[in-house]
Amino acid sequence: MARALTVALREVRAFLKDRADLAFSLLLPIAIFAISYGAFGGQMEFRGTAHVVNEDEGGKYSTLLVEALRDVDNLNVDELSAEDANRKLDRSDLLMVLFIPEGFSAQLASGEQAQLIFKRRGNGGEDGQIVASIVSGVAGEMAAQFQVLSQVENALAGTGISQHRIEVTVEEWMEEERQNPVVTVREDIVGVERDPVDEFLPGIVTMFILFAITISARMLVEERKKGTLERLLTTRLTAGELFLGKFLANVGRGLIQTLILFLLAYAVFQMFTPLSFVETLVVAFFFTAAVSAIGLIIGSLASSEDQATWIAVFFTMVMVMLGGTFFDITEGSVFYTVSKMSVSTYANDALKTIMVDKGGLADVGLELGVLAGVAVVGLFLARSLFKVVPGGR
Amino acid sequence: MPDEFLIAEDLHKSFNEHKAVNGVSFTIHRGEIFGLLGPNGAGKTTTIRILSTVLEPDSGDVSIGGHSVRREPEAVRSIIGVCPQELALYPEFSAVDNLVFFGRLVGLTGKDAHSQAMAHLELMGLRERARGKVDKFSGGMKRRVNLAIALMGHPQLLFLDEPTVGIDPQSRNKIYETIQGLRHGGMTILYTTHYMEEADHLCDRVAIMDGGVIVAMDAPRALKSQIGPPDQVSLEDVFLKLTGRSLRD
Repeated sequence: MARALTVALREVRAFLKDRADLAFSLLLPIAIFAISYGAFGGQMEFRGTAHVVNEDEGGKYSTLLVEALRDVDNLNVDELSAEDANRKLDRSDLLMVLFIPEGFSAQLASGEQAQLIFKRRGNGGEDGQIVASIVSGVAGEMAAQFQVLSQVENALAGTGISQHRIEVTVEEWMEEERQNPVVTVREDIVGVERDPVDEFLPGIVTMFILFAITISARMLVEERKKGTLERLLTTRLTAGELFLGKFLANVGRGLIQTLILFLLAYAVFQMFTPLSFVETLVVAFFFTAAVSAIGLIIGSLASSEDQATWIAVFFTMVMVMLGGTFFDITEGSVFYTVSKMSVSTYANDALKTIMVDKGGLADVGLELGVLAGVAVVGLFLARSLFKVVPGGR
Repeated sequence: MPDEFLIAEDLHKSFNEHKAVNGVSFTIHRGEIFGLLGPNGAGKTTTIRILSTVLEPDSGDVSIGGHSVRREPEAVRSIIGVCPQELALYPEFSAVDNLVFFGRLVGLTGKDAHSQAMAHLELMGLRERARGKVDKFSGGMKRRVNLAIALMGHPQLLFLDEPTVGIDPQSRNKIYETIQGLRHGGMTILYTTHYMEEADHLCDRVAIMDGGVIVAMDAPRALKSQIGPPDQVSLEDVFLKLTGRSLRD
């Protein structure tokens, strides 16, 4: 055991000495996390642009409408000329444009029916439809305020109350209604509300640990290439101790990287309780052990570094696909059944149970058992397949 | 009668249909430098791999210090040191770290490994560069580190597989001096080389292998006397006479 630890320690020291390797292996998960979060995280909330042609330029109500649109959260307002808008609609550069026709304010002021026009290309696009809905809501609210104001003015005609006083009072009532509406809407989310960080971190951790397959696979081949493999096995070091040392080194390395990733996640996103932090690390340990053992099997069979790398990359990619890293796999589907062949599925499930569904280690006993089994069987299989030299022990 | 430290008996090893070692038998006496010579593909490396327990023979056995390589490979490994022809080093580590690492693997404590490492680096003229990274060393310095590693744990039998290949005369001379010093200290050495003068100069006895068999074995002078006056013929003449002049791949 002491000699296995000596081998493991040398591997860890080599990892720490190689600054480029160290930096890359630590920056990689952070970069992947940031990219994934940037790419998928923003889709949780709608952000859009209302393209507006105001042909009622200078009109009181058209100006109010545009200002009201500007006040809507996550909605940009892009004002453009009618000519520009028509050209862009023709070229499909825009799919939906709001036209405020000339005389809009005057019509409203005189009590006539005023009309807003949406010009659209096809169905106006998904974003265009959402923007149209937002514009309709804002216009409706404005119309309601205008009608209330008109009716109050009519009712108070001849009382000597000034027009300004009426407008201010009606505006105050409307604002109070906005703040304390008579009818409220509550959203009940069925299931667990998923934060994008929670959503993607388990998959990213799984994928990141899967890279350990390649590192593990190359360890033995690199020793062979350096000529140190044969030399190591003419010392008192047994092949079993060599494998155990390499295995421990890879697990240690993987855990150090995962620990840093989790610490960052904790610092940046305030994830984890102390207990869930430890439980997540336990899952990461079992998974790292399993993939390290798989890597050693590949290393035992490969005859060159390139061969080891490509076989390992192949398995990594397959496991990323099967493990549900970036998308949920529908239960009961053929793909679901096939995914059960991949250790990454069990790791991903276990991490999601703890990180997203707030479960504990007791809830992931099956997953941990599978990962531990793969680690132990893989280690023995790798040792039995290994030959120092062709025809050797 | 000299103490027979290594006894190889009727060793056979084949790879597919190719008989790499075909009935090799020899003995090495305690404290002797024994040369194993032969052209490329003669079976030297396979023989050394069998002796150093890396390969198991198809048949035959070797006793080293009373231990069978087949039945007690771990006991054999505890008394041998191997200096391979390749530079089997960790270039990203310092010279002393390389020696200490292998020292720990032959069973030394950290303290003993470090003190032996420094002593061996001193012996090799590398004490001043002990902390230097090996990948910054010259070819000759790397060769000397390669040999120093094999000395960790003070093995009783040392395998030196072409330890002077491709290095400058100064480093080669240093290695010769070290080997002779080790012999005087009582170490048994199995030495392979393509430099016949080197074998003639260093070895007490040599075995010449070709085609997986030993074609001659005796003291260099005795071998030379088989083809002419020993002072007028070289070991290379003997080698070429026994193995022929055709090129080997």
